[in-house]
Amino acid sequence: MGIQHWRIRDRYYRLMGNRCEKCGAEFFPPVYRCKKCGSEKLVDADMPRTGKILTYTQLHEPLPGFEDQSPMFIALVELENGTRVVGQVVDSPDDSVRTGAKAKAVFRRVQVDGDSGQILYGYKFVIAS
Amino acid sequence: MKSKTPVAIKGYGAYIPYYRLPTSETARVWRGGGSGPNVEKAVASMDEDTTTMAIEAATYATRMAGVKELGAVFVGTESKPYAVKPTSTVVAQALGQHHALAADLEFACKAGTEAIQIITGLIGSGMISAGLAIGMDTAQGRPGDDLELTAGSGGAAYVLGAKDSSDVALIDCSTSYVSDTPDFWRRSHERYPRHLSRFTGEPAYFHHIETAVNSLFEDTGHKSSDFKYAIFHQPNPRFPVEVAVRLGFNADQIKTGLLNPQIGNTYAGSSPLGLAAVLDEASPGDKILLASFGSGAGSDAFCIEVQDGILEKRGMNPTVKSMVEHAARIDYSTYTKFRGKLNR
Amino acid sequence: MKAYVSSVGFTAVADHWGKSLLDIAYEASTAALKGSPRVKPQQVFVGNMFSAAGAGQEQLGALVADAVGLAGVPAVKVESACASGAAAFNLAYSLVKGGVIDSALVVGVEKMRDVEPDDITRVLTLAESSEYTQFVGASFAALNGMLARHYMEQLDVTRDELSSLPVLDHANAVSAEHAQFRKAITPEAVARSGMVADPLRLFDCSPVGDGAAAAVIVNDKAAGTTKGGLVEVLGGRIATSEFSMYGRDDMLRFRATEDSFREAMQQAGLAQSKLDFLEIHDSFSVMGALSLEAMGLSKRGQGGMDAKQGKFDLNSELSVNTFGGLKARGNPIGATGVYQIAEAYLQLTGRAGANQVKGAEFGATQSVGGIDTTSAVHVFGRAA
Repeated sequence: MGIQHWRIRDRYYRLMGNRCEKCGAEFFPPVYRCKKCGSEKLVDADMPRTGKILTYTQLHEPLPGFEDQSPMFIALVELENGTRVVGQVVDSPDDSVRTGAKAKAVFRRVQVDGDSGQILYGYKFVIAS
Repeated sequence: MKSKTPVAIKGYGAYIPYYRLPTSETARVWRGGGSGPNVEKAVASMDEDTTTMAIEAATYATRMAGVKELGAVFVGTESKPYAVKPTSTVVAQALGQHHALAADLEFACKAGTEAIQIITGLIGSGMISAGLAIGMDTAQGRPGDDLELTAGSGGAAYVLGAKDSSDVALIDCSTSYVSDTPDFWRRSHERYPRHLSRFTGEPAYFHHIETAVNSLFEDTGHKSSDFKYAIFHQPNPRFPVEVAVRLGFNADQIKTGLLNPQIGNTYAGSSPLGLAAVLDEASPGDKILLASFGSGAGSDAFCIEVQDGILEKRGMNPTVKSMVEHAARIDYSTYTKFRGKLNR
Repeated sequence: MKAYVSSVGFTAVADHWGKSLLDIAYEASTAALKGSPRVKPQQVFVGNMFSAAGAGQEQLGALVADAVGLAGVPAVKVESACASGAAAFNLAYSLVKGGVIDSALVVGVEKMRDVEPDDITRVLTLAESSEYTQFVGASFAALNGMLARHYMEQLDVTRDELSSLPVLDHANAVSAEHAQFRKAITPEAVARSGMVADPLRLFDCSPVGDGAAAAVIVNDKAAGTTKGGLVEVLGGRIATSEFSMYGRDDMLRFRATEDSFREAMQQAGLAQSKLDFLEIHDSFSVMGALSLEAMGLSKRGQGGMDAKQGKFDLNSELSVNTFGGLKARGNPIGATGVYQIAEAYLQLTGRAGANQVKGAEFGATQSVGGIDTTSAVHVFGRAA
């Protein structure tokens, strides 16, 4: 995972997706071909870091590496530019996590390989007031 | 020390994590009751570390500064996530800055302020045009030790550049004073620091801060009444108040920058956060005295002058006050889980 | 050229602690081969999702072929997440119907229990984006939980309506010998069961289990060799949609299932009303409801309500999940699609016992990988 993470660290650190040079559509995760017009002419573009919750769940069966954070909120956030990102919601009172709530991306440790392995950083979300 | 070309703060940003551990909780577990010198301390969550918090603060600072290129990225901390692998390069990557001198500094609680001094030198000499200095920590105290009451998480970031009309505040000058003093230390593979209790006072904190500040006063001809604000390193609520009195400062001058009661001692983040709190409300023309203290030991004293440019930058970022207030309390057991203090 | 299923074989869906992946694949395969004694399959297709993770084993095509005495015959492993079995069947069917080969053995097999218990959810999520879904801690349960909440909020679907499909599944499984769970449950029990991914609870989710199911496919040239009867494959289609559900404009529209169902039914030349039974992919209750709606069997948002009103009960207008579906018969991932097909075979040859859909003439199976990322639908009819 370390090398895979390194390869796309800008995507994780900066919510960097891409934008179609032909029609302006933006995508996160990045695409190979524009989903609107089919063009292959795409450039890297940072997505906005704020949006709202489209739907969410509270997960009680964590994936490995997330056991300590269980139960945890996972949300589908629609960013200001219409792109949708799945991410964990942290540091927010339970009752603030709801469909329609404003959310903001934050920089966090996402996965940690024990005490001697790599720390893989990326994005999570907090409910914004 | 005064840079040949004047250097100023272009933007700043703070970060204080969401969680708080009341000292009454820690005291309940280890002393059967009572509380510590501070009310509570800020605690980083399980998924935070010095790097994540540095990037949050740096993002605010660079946004305010509006600077395109950073020639240096320095992070001062004593809680590096990796003993070997720089925090500063992750910060640089997150900001898209690759043509930069990046380094992590360690000098206990003054690693952040010396980052400011070094970058001032790089800019002042014309070697770079702008740089980022961060003081940030998630430092720990040994379970049951007094330090556990106060050791908190947080810090602030400063983008510095050559003086122009968009300045927040001018770094007028600074003075450093160091000596080999064993007040507080952590050996290489140890988890927690050790300290010499009462010895951390007079021979360490007070001696170095008083010497540095008096030295600054001598060099500049300033006296305490020239300053609207004074910020001192805050290992607890009492030391900064006491050193203020000794140096001729009053309660009004230090109150804005005094955050320890609410967030504890954020180590390398301590005086940088105090400065951010002051900048959130200071007016053009105000002079600020800042004196950090790092165990081991040393103090960096600064004379900082607020500029006109601060007014249009006010309100761009959340204030330190709002971060202090945006908080959720946790208990001691949750704290041990968050900060990985349990043996598994 | 027509293509037929000439025999099937399968193990019970259970925790087969004492049997290996190859053990159960062999069991199902030989049972199917014995049902078509004069057929020597010309190709072997093994449907499986994660033999590497569970058994440390790949190259399943040759492995199974060799074990059943077919070494030398062309053999491949086919993977399409939870639709692996149906995908394997589809490829076999396509080649046989096209006359490229005259017969094939299809085996779907999965040994979920050989995966470390703490690792099963990770292994299942391999079917979703490694970098953007798995990495952030979102499992399939989480994605389905979000989908379920979205479904309920957008279309005013109640907890009770959603519970109807698991309840139906369990009711049918009581008399299904090969089913994993054979006790009836109530809607209250569903709503009270442990929370998995709010709002989805334990009884909304298909179980972990092991199983293998096999089918022998033949065309006209090889027909006349079956012991149990022939079932004609009238149509079959795999369709895919946008990989991750959250990239889709309307997450509540299962376009892959819409496409595969429409195409397969068109190939079969059948109107929907002619279907007597339907095996749907209810890996989670919400998946079942949305599948029914995608196939036009319920109006948008009405899948659960229709099930609640008994519209899909055994021997109603359209019997759904006649042996318990994914929730109660079970869902050993790569095998599930072939179990559905084996069940269709039993229905259409009159051998479904207490689960028989009376006078069944036509039926269909829908198997899905991910959240309608891959959908494989097959339509079957009694052979003349």
